[in-house]
Amino acid sequence: MSSRDLESYRSGQPAQLADVLERVLDKGIVIAGDIQINLLDIELLTVKIRLLIASADKARELGIDWWEGDAFLSRGNGHSELEERLRKLEEKAGLPTSPERGRSDT
Amino acid sequence: MSSADGAAICTNGLGWYLYGVVGAGDKSPRLDAKGLAVDPGHDVELVVEGPLAGVTSRVSLEEFGEEMLPDRLGDAAWLEEKISAHERVLERVLHELSIVPCRFCTVYRSERELRRFLAERKDALQAALDRVHGQVELGVKAFVDRKRFAAGEASRNEKIRDLQERAGSAEGGTAYLERRRLEQLVSSEVERLRSTASRDIHSRLLARADDGLTLALQAPEVSGRDNQMIFHGAYLVDVSEAEFKATLGSLAVEYRDLGVELELTGPWPPYNFVPTELRAS
Repeated sequence: MSSRDLESYRSGQPAQLADVLERVLDKGIVIAGDIQINLLDIELLTVKIRLLIASADKARELGIDWWEGDAFLSRGNGHSELEERLRKLEEKAGLPTSPERGRSDT
Repeated sequence: MSSADGAAICTNGLGWYLYGVVGAGDKSPRLDAKGLAVDPGHDVELVVEGPLAGVTSRVSLEEFGEEMLPDRLGDAAWLEEKISAHERVLERVLHELSIVPCRFCTVYRSERELRRFLAERKDALQAALDRVHGQVELGVKAFVDRKRFAAGEASRNEKIRDLQERAGSAEGGTAYLERRRLEQLVSSEVERLRSTASRDIHSRLLARADDGLTLALQAPEVSGRDNQMIFHGAYLVDVSEAEFKATLGSLAVEYRDLGVELELTGPWPPYNFVPTELRAS
């Protein structure tokens, strides 16, 4: 490789925080049933955490797989729809909608 | 906190933060530097379970527990510090070992739960690890300098040349309209460039990588660059990186005349090349 090629693109600078954020918050292995959060939208985050409380297994039982729905969640338009689904699920599961935090997968 | 839950919580209020998973048979990465972890009071350590090892550190559940997280996440300084620590630990490991990175804030409440995870998902984790063995992720971005692109286009595109001349010689409202028409034409040419260049760049880099994908383009406020991003990709590349970088170098030379600059980021832990969800096996 010629030295001209080596200098032809930028590199080696410290990673941009945005690149780190995109990867660390949105990529990487997600383990269902453990504490996991998508921090891109704090409002959605609390929704997710509430779903988490119902525990991953219960959520799966109820037919919801939010951990696969990141694209849907982060695309922005689904907020109210998601909130509505969450409310219905919580009612159906007899879960308190107030944030009483407990997990059932001991 | 409900009482049913209390038994599962470590009595000392410490949990296990999992950064990623490595092969236990591999050499041990040097992780003894102080203050490396997301909770700087604790060291990064390997928890070996069968053929796998979790790269972990203890964290205060007061800080990383479910209750506290929503508040913490609203604290940009906290978030930046912890995310940087997460990445720093993984990069340290990446220097020496292949790793399957976990998403930020993967926290176990007890060592037992952590070990159970490593044991129960052994096959899926091993498969993920095999896939990224000896490889790292590299990021590639391309930006177009609109002025340089337009200047270059003018020598190739008669319409742009005409409009530039007319906008230059006209006055008042006419000049404004000509400038707008010129801007619109340049925009549509940039769009055409974006479409052809991203296909070309991606396919040629992919040929030098084990795998690759395109990522969402970043707006200038995210990328920190004035120039428009026209391509953003991530590639799973052999740790030597040589072939890939040679091709990137050639691409950069070819595209320079169009006012396009290429940028390499990484090496990253292979965030984009591990399963997003790990189901129980």
